[in-house]
Amino acid sequence: MKNSLLVILLLILSLAGRAQSIDKVVAFHVKAIPFSEFCESLFKQSSVKIYYDEKLLKDLKVSVDSDSISIVMAVKEALKGTKLEVSYWHGSLVVMPGEKLLTALPDYNLKKNKNKDEGASSESLTKSEELYITGRKADVSKSMTIGMKGAAVPGTKAKIRGRILDEETGEPIFNATMYIAEIQNGAISDINGFVTISLSPGKYNASFEYLGYEKEKYQLEVLSDGNFTLNMHNAVIQMKVVVVYGDRQMNMRAKDPGLDKLSVKAIKELPMMMGERDILKVSGTLPGIVSVGEGSSGLNVRGGSSDQNAFYINKIPIYNTSHLFGFFPAFNADIIKDFSIYKGHIPAQYGGHLSSVFNIVSRQGNRKHFTARGGISPITGSIVVEGPLKKDTSSFLFSARSSYSDWILKKIKDPQISNSTAGFNDISGGINYDNQKTQLSLFLYHSFDRFSLNELTSYQYSNNGASASFGHNFGSALRGEFSLIASQYAFSTIDKQEPATAYDHPFKMEHYEARADFKHKIFRTNSLEYGASLILYKLDRGTVSPYGVESLRKTVELGKEQGIESAVYLSDVYDVLPWLNLTAGIRYALFTPIGPQTVYEYQAGLPVSTRNITDTLTFGANEPIKRYNEPDIRAAVNIKTDPNGSIKLAFNQMHQNLFMLNTTAAIAPNTQWKLADYHLLPSESNQYSAGIFRALAEYGLETSAEIFYKQTHNFPEFKDGADFLNTKLVETTVLQGDQKAWGIEFFIKRSMRKVEGWISYTYSRSFIQVNGGEEWNQTNNGEAYPSNFDIPHSLNVVINYHINRRVTLASIVTYQTGKPVTYPVSVYYVNGLPVFDYSKRNAYRIPDYFRTDFSLTVEGNLKKKKLIHSSLIFSLYNATGRENPYSVYFKTEDGGIKSYQYSVIGVPIFTATWLFKLGNYASE
Amino acid sequence: MRQNSIHIIITMLALLLTSCIKTYEPLIQNKDAEKFVVSGQVNQGDTVQRISISKTSQIADPVSSPVSGCVVNITDDKGNTYPATEEKNGNYESIIPASELKEGASFRVDIRLPSGENIVSDYDQINACPDVDSVYYVLQDVPGINPEIPGKGIQFYLNMEGANYTCRNYRIEAVETWEYHSAYPIEWFYNGYIHHVVPLDFSRMVCWRTALTKDIFTLSTTNLSENKYVSFPLNLVDNYSSPRLQYGYSLLIRQYALSDAAYSYWEKMRINTNQQGGLYEAQPQPVKGNMHNITNPDKDVLGFFGASSVKLKRIFVSPIVNLPIDYNPHCEVGILLKNGLRQISPASYPAYLFGDNNGYQNVVIRSECVDCLILGGTTLKPGFWPN
Repeated sequence: MKNSLLVILLLILSLAGRAQSIDKVVAFHVKAIPFSEFCESLFKQSSVKIYYDEKLLKDLKVSVDSDSISIVMAVKEALKGTKLEVSYWHGSLVVMPGEKLLTALPDYNLKKNKNKDEGASSESLTKSEELYITGRKADVSKSMTIGMKGAAVPGTKAKIRGRILDEETGEPIFNATMYIAEIQNGAISDINGFVTISLSPGKYNASFEYLGYEKEKYQLEVLSDGNFTLNMHNAVIQMKVVVVYGDRQMNMRAKDPGLDKLSVKAIKELPMMMGERDILKVSGTLPGIVSVGEGSSGLNVRGGSSDQNAFYINKIPIYNTSHLFGFFPAFNADIIKDFSIYKGHIPAQYGGHLSSVFNIVSRQGNRKHFTARGGISPITGSIVVEGPLKKDTSSFLFSARSSYSDWILKKIKDPQISNSTAGFNDISGGINYDNQKTQLSLFLYHSFDRFSLNELTSYQYSNNGASASFGHNFGSALRGEFSLIASQYAFSTIDKQEPATAYDHPFKMEHYEARADFKHKIFRTNSLEYGASLILYKLDRGTVSPYGVESLRKTVELGKEQGIESAVYLSDVYDVLPWLNLTAGIRYALFTPIGPQTVYEYQAGLPVSTRNITDTLTFGANEPIKRYNEPDIRAAVNIKTDPNGSIKLAFNQMHQNLFMLNTTAAIAPNTQWKLADYHLLPSESNQYSAGIFRALAEYGLETSAEIFYKQTHNFPEFKDGADFLNTKLVETTVLQGDQKAWGIEFFIKRSMRKVEGWISYTYSRSFIQVNGGEEWNQTNNGEAYPSNFDIPHSLNVVINYHINRRVTLASIVTYQTGKPVTYPVSVYYVNGLPVFDYSKRNAYRIPDYFRTDFSLTVEGNLKKKKLIHSSLIFSLYNATGRENPYSVYFKTEDGGIKSYQYSVIGVPIFTATWLFKLGNYASE
Repeated sequence: MRQNSIHIIITMLALLLTSCIKTYEPLIQNKDAEKFVVSGQVNQGDTVQRISISKTSQIADPVSSPVSGCVVNITDDKGNTYPATEEKNGNYESIIPASELKEGASFRVDIRLPSGENIVSDYDQINACPDVDSVYYVLQDVPGINPEIPGKGIQFYLNMEGANYTCRNYRIEAVETWEYHSAYPIEWFYNGYIHHVVPLDFSRMVCWRTALTKDIFTLSTTNLSENKYVSFPLNLVDNYSSPRLQYGYSLLIRQYALSDAAYSYWEKMRINTNQQGGLYEAQPQPVKGNMHNITNPDKDVLGFFGASSVKLKRIFVSPIVNLPIDYNPHCEVGILLKNGLRQISPASYPAYLFGDNNGYQNVVIRSECVDCLILGGTTLKPGFWPN
């Protein structure tokens, strides 16, 4: 700092004793005046002194033209183009070449300081100490007062509840962060925009951040318990940014290892098959998640089967998440507000599926004005209409999406195809009421699919759901939410391929749920989440009955079944130390299959088959058939190693009572679900995970590495050739074994840059072992084998290149190890026909999967005031035209042996999609 | 053909999305030892009972490798033993008196391999088999070589009526016989010397060939309300890939009544040999038959030894008026000999040449265009063939 001694301090005007405010906003219109004149002018307006070396600035001509500019900004503007920096020093500004004056001590000192003073009121800090902590005050331009003078109880902390809303639409913002510099901690807003924090009375500098919104800085004056509301504006100037923001604030409060988030904006810009924005398919580019393949809706999360994932939209469970056999998503991307995936630590409020929770929360609708948006792709058209019912308190949202007529099918000359029809639609709508204290919401969802092949086989399936929620803030520390949820999944199949065996089969599953969830801030360092839920499952597996007069099909009643899942949970998020956070939760569920039901007992030690029935048990209506106690422990530790890094550890226990009757990797449209029952035991899993998270701020990077080990017991593995249409006794077709999965996941994400995106790499393995002792009780001779979804290497690269504000080029590159497969290893002849002898189960692999997609998004003009904004998205799927095999299979043909690979998509597919919305580029 | 309907849909969507199926040969290295394979059955209705014993061969090099020199005995549940003698390489035959081949009788096979190992099967019981009610065909469009131009073909169906029988599981073999003609009579041929056949030799222009269709057909009425099946689809014969329908075609149906164990074996075999690779297809599984190596129980033995009764039915299909044959044996072209007859390798003697009364040309006709025996048929008209 010896240079500073050389600085000639020039006192421009007398030392006036008035309060100085460098953040004062002034109007300034000067052109090409000398710097000294500029300083004088500034002092007149703000009484801020500026110290500088005359030699350095004697030639500088200053031009500033602004109606409202802070003093600091004005000086910075004036110094633009020079290598001089302006620093704040004891209420004055100092101009020096090249380097800034240090105004705060390095962080480590600060930390020590803070720990010592933990809990002390910030009032006890001197003005200068406060400055050390908050840095330049220049940024703080607004202030808020919370609570009332004199209302504070001495020695206790004030409980503060804030509400963060979108200024334009009035909708709450989920996952916005509130950061209090003084305590180096903060809170994240919940789905209703609420943030809860305990602070000692005093003054604080709070900053509020959310993607795509302008950062807000406030000075909070905390007097006592109280509430505040904060409106955030869309950052019009910013680029559309950031795609995945899981663990975004890793130096802050996101405690859940294995939590990933996808933002809908990002998905819009990514290349998609046939132009349909599929949030679930994009989730397959995240570490630990693998998509089963094109034309299939299954996702495998951390080596689990696809029925181990729970999907919710506004609390409604959705049991079939795709249209047209998995080619397209069953959700309109335009209504999605938040999409979170839990795959490691799953909060205690969730239960019932072993691998993951995919939680979609819809937007609530614009509370300020009516608006609409929509899109047209080669396959579907969609529209979303929303607006206030009563300004600022209630709103509605309605979305409809439908495929067009069968024009594509009709274009195909093959008569089998042109005689076929296909179509789908989904409709959803919601109404929300919000008076800050109480929120009411109602949401309805419907999706429908039909498919008929050459008038021989037809499928229909639909999801229907409704949820009603009542949320209320009891004081500033306790919030309760009460919900009623109903969901139904139904399909029907008509198979007329052979008149003699033609049949129809309807299936219906209903889910009724009542739940209460509470969030309770009991102390500054402790937040409790507790609640209870009650679910009634009603399955009607349907009756397979003959179709048509010629059919001889035997009528098979697959039966009805019911089960009650009741659960209570309690979870505490405890900030033990500023750098140590614990989440400990317990969920206790009781699953009870209930009658009426007839159950058979089988001879012990013999195969479970109708031949070995020893006894028949009859259960009356609502009589419990069995009781399964299912305690789950969910624990997570979050250790902040430094402001940019953390280590997270988690232990997660789950139970699952509902299974898909499926012997293949893909989910078919006629896949039945089945409850755990007298014989079929609930599955349970224990997952251990650990992760290191680190932000490299200077490069805009966030990185993480996570390892996991997951063990599942009573994993249902269906026997070879299991037929779920000809017997209601599922226990005769299933064996239960163990599943093991482990892996390591790496993730690097770059955001808020011109070139952004992420790279994920996962190495993981997944094995199944079914060994009940006797030969009939084994699969693969009782040896462990790779599961159908054992994909060791999975690499995804997602890049968004914002060429300018209107044009974005995006690309997805995906590589996966080929799926395991059972190949024939030798040949023998029976009656002169070649027959295969197959290898051990899944001993081989099909060729690796590799795909590159591109998309180009062109936004309409950037005028701020316009009626309609539209964007065009050009997508090129599978740009290299690689024929990625879905399967490899062997056939005997004309006495010889042929092997084939089957690829769902073997050429590049180009599509153009048009999206529009009322309002400008940035409006939501 | 019975197909998984979802598979068809996916294929269809796939077509829509320009998916593709192409040949692919994975590298398979089988380190397992060869396994023994026993297949055979005792049939009520047959006079000679046949058993074949072989070993598996590598998938990359599929060959039939029979096992000779085994001691083979068939035993029944009454304690009778019927020795089988080796007729041909690895094929063993036994004669069991018809009086012992009754419904309800059970049989098994006991084999001592040349190595001294002992293989036995489980017992399998004879079930009575109903008559084949009827076999018929339906003319229909079939996928052609060019997907946009459908071909034509006939689909065979079987009706089964078993009201008075307890057996509900069946296996059907379809044995086809067809007449075919070569394009030319024999006139000029070269086997080191040039020969001119006068008068023309028409003896190898008409042949009949018999073959088992390469499909496994299993039929079960377990899931039907009656022991009856209407329109069970058998094989499909098209008009472009072979000359089968050109001059006459006959189909012999062998309908076997199976035990549950035998049905389960053949059903798995059917599924495994008829993979389509679709999205919703379960992975193939090793098929365990009913054979056991009792000397080395850890060594798997493949195959099934069954006991059943069989009923036969034959139908004849004359050339069909509105089914034009689109098959081209490509006999109008031959191989041009630029350097004269000496270019012909002795290995391919006799070489038939284009020519007429006045002389031959240096163009070789493919043998099957003049000699129908080359394609595996016989010039002996079968007894059942109509005149």
